[in-house]
Amino acid sequence: MKIALIGQPNSGKSTIFNAVAGYKSVTSNLPGTTVEYMESRVRLNGAVYDLVDFPGTYSLSSTNEAEAEVGKYLLSQKFDLIINIIDASQLGRSLPLTLELIDLGIPMIVALNMMDEASRKGIEIEVDALSELLNMPVQTTVASKNLGVRDLFVNAKHVIEEGKKSIPGSIPCQKDVEEIICELEYEIKQNFAPKVVYPSRFLAIKLLEDDEYYQSILSHQNGHMLSDKVRVLQNKLVQLRGKPQDSVLVLERHAMAMDIYGKVVKIGHPHSDWREKLDHIVMHRMGGYFILITILLSFFYIIFEFGALLEGYLLTGFENLQQSLSGVLDQNSIWFYLVQSIVWGISGGIAIVLPYLVPFLIGLTILEDAGYLPRVAFLMDSFMHRIGLHGTSIIPAVLGYGCNVPAVMATRILPSRRDKIIAAVISSMIPCSARSVVIFGLVAFYLGPFWAFAIYLFNIVVISLTGKVLSWLMPEVSPGMILEIPPYRWPSSRVIFRKTWFRIKEFIMVAWPILILGSVVLGMLEYFQLDKLINQGLSPLTALLGLPAVVGTTLIFGVLRKELALIMLTQALGTTQILTVLSTNQVLVFTIFITFYIPCVATMAVLSRELNRSWMILVVMITLILAILFSFMFRVFGHLIL
Amino acid sequence: MKSLLDVSTQKSVKIVGISGGKGARRSLAQLGIGIGSVVKIKRNAPFAGPLLIENHGSSIAVGRGVAAKIMVEDI
Repeated sequence: MKIALIGQPNSGKSTIFNAVAGYKSVTSNLPGTTVEYMESRVRLNGAVYDLVDFPGTYSLSSTNEAEAEVGKYLLSQKFDLIINIIDASQLGRSLPLTLELIDLGIPMIVALNMMDEASRKGIEIEVDALSELLNMPVQTTVASKNLGVRDLFVNAKHVIEEGKKSIPGSIPCQKDVEEIICELEYEIKQNFAPKVVYPSRFLAIKLLEDDEYYQSILSHQNGHMLSDKVRVLQNKLVQLRGKPQDSVLVLERHAMAMDIYGKVVKIGHPHSDWREKLDHIVMHRMGGYFILITILLSFFYIIFEFGALLEGYLLTGFENLQQSLSGVLDQNSIWFYLVQSIVWGISGGIAIVLPYLVPFLIGLTILEDAGYLPRVAFLMDSFMHRIGLHGTSIIPAVLGYGCNVPAVMATRILPSRRDKIIAAVISSMIPCSARSVVIFGLVAFYLGPFWAFAIYLFNIVVISLTGKVLSWLMPEVSPGMILEIPPYRWPSSRVIFRKTWFRIKEFIMVAWPILILGSVVLGMLEYFQLDKLINQGLSPLTALLGLPAVVGTTLIFGVLRKELALIMLTQALGTTQILTVLSTNQVLVFTIFITFYIPCVATMAVLSRELNRSWMILVVMITLILAILFSFMFRVFGHLIL
Repeated sequence: MKSLLDVSTQKSVKIVGISGGKGARRSLAQLGIGIGSVVKIKRNAPFAGPLLIENHGSSIAVGRGVAAKIMVEDI
C-alpha cells in the first residue's frame, strides 16, 4: 500500500511524515526544502504502508524542475492514496492543487493542517461542508502538536479499504471552460487512450496549459494531429477569459478555489498580529540589514563562545589520555599506533566537532523554521542582482552553511537552468558546518574570533566575484524573484530538538566512523612510514604554501570530510597545542586552503547529478586554483596583517 | 497604463496584464496572481529591492524586474 503526502510549501507535510515515520525528513519554514523524496515503511493500526513525502509544490505543472518531478513521480508509481495536506490558514491558496490532484483519479483525503494558526487568524472552516464539496474525507490536524494525526491515518485506512469507490469525482469548471476541456479529453481518449497512462482529463488540462513536459510525451506518440486541436481550443479559452493561454486555466482553478473558500469559510476577528509589526522592522530597507547583521554576528559569537569553552576543556582531557597511553603501550608497537589513532578519531569528534556542530545546527534550525530565510532573500535581492542572480538564489546559499549537499539540491527551486548552475556552483563554495568546524576549531580557537569572522567575509567576497564572473560568462536575464514570504512561526522545541538530532545523527553515524577510520588509516600509514611518500608527493604544494610537509596527508583526507583535515592535522603534528608547531600565519593559510579547495566527495557527487560531470570537474578545478591562489596570497602577505 | 512599480504603498490595484515570459506568468498564477487579481502593495521603496504584495492573505516578494511587467489599474 503506497501513500503519497502532497501539499504546498510550508503546509506541514514533513511534520506529518515525521510524526508517523520517525525523524527522517527535514522540515523548514521555507519553500522547497524537501528536495528528495523521503520514503518510509510504517506500521499503523495493524497495516503496513509505504509513505512517500513529496517536495512542497504549488501545482503539478512543469514550472520548475522540482514541480515537474512531482507530477512525473506521482503518475509513474501506483499510489493507493493521496493525502493532500493543506495549511488551513491559507485554504484559498491551497485548494487549486487539490483540484489538480482530484483529476488524477486516485483515492484522496485532505488533512487540514495548522488549524491553530487558522483560528488565530480568525478563519473558521466548516469542515463537513468542505468535505462534501470536495467529495472526500477531510481531517483537521495540528501536526506540530501531534493532534489529529492518528485520526488522519485511521481515515486513510478506511479510504484505502474502499478502493476504487473512494476515488473523488472531478469537480467541473464553469460550463464554457468545461466544454473545451471535455472536447479535448474526448479527442485524447479517441486517439491515444491505449498508449497513454495518464488520466485523460488531467492530460487535457495540462495540454491546454501549454505544459512542455506533457506536450513532449504526446509528441513522441505522433501527437501533432492533436496539437492543432489544442491550439484552436486554447484560442477559444483566451477569447472567453481574456487571459494568456499559459495561465488561463491556472487562474480558473484559483477562481474555483476561491468559490469553494467563500462557501466554507467564515472570517471572524483575527487576534492582533504582532508578526505584521515585526515585518515592518525585519524587512525595513535600513533596519532590516541592521537586524540581519546583528543576528549573524550574535549567531557567530554564541557558537564560538560555547564551542571554544567546551573545546578547551575537552582537548586538555584527551591530551592527558594520550599521554597516559604512552605509559601503557610500547610507543613503537603497531598497537600503540592503532589505539592512539582510534583515540584521536574519537576525541576529534567529541572535542573538536560536536562543541561547534551542536549549537550551529540548533541555530540554523531556528532560523530556518522561524521563517527568517525568505526575509533574507527579500533583503538580499538587490545585492544578488548585482552578481547576476536574484533573491531566491540566496536560499540554497544559506542552506549551504549547514551542508552543501542539500544546498545544491535546493537549487531546483530556481526555474532557469542558468540561475541553477550559478547558484549550485556558489553553494558548493559556502563554508558548510564541517568547514565551519575547521574555521572555529582552528582559527577562532587559536587566533581569535575576529579572524574567523574575517574568513567568512572573505569567502562571501570571493563567492560574489565568482557569481559575477559566471553571470558575465553566461549573459542571460534572470527571470526575477517571485517568492512567497511565509508567516513567522515559533518553532516548537520538540521540532528543534528532533531536527537537530536528525542532523547530528548523520554526523555520528556517517561522518564520525569515517573520521575514526581516517585516523586509523593515517596511524597505519605513519607506522609503515608510507605517509612520508604521500607527503613527499605533495611537498611542492605544501612548500609553496609554506606549510610543514606532514600536513600533506591531511589535505588528501579532507576531500572525504572536511573535519577530517582538522582532526588529522592534530594527529599528523602529534599535538593539540597547534601553536607550538605552526605559526599563526600557517594556521590561517591552512584554514584558507581547507575552506576553499575541492568540495567534499558527497558534494561532488550531488554536483554531477544536479548539473553534470563536466560542471563538477570544473568546480573542482576552479576551487583548487582559488584555494592555492588565496592561501599563497596569505602566506606572502599574511604577516602584514597578522 | 502603469506597472506595479508605480503604485504607492498600502494601495490596492487590479492587474490588467502581465507581459514577459510565461515562466513568470505561471509562477504568479500558481500563487493566485493573474489578470483580474486584486493585490495590495505592502512595500514599494523606489530603488530599494523587491516589492512586497499581498494576495488573499499571503505575502509575496516580487523582484522589481517582474513587477515592471505587471500592468495594473486603480480600483
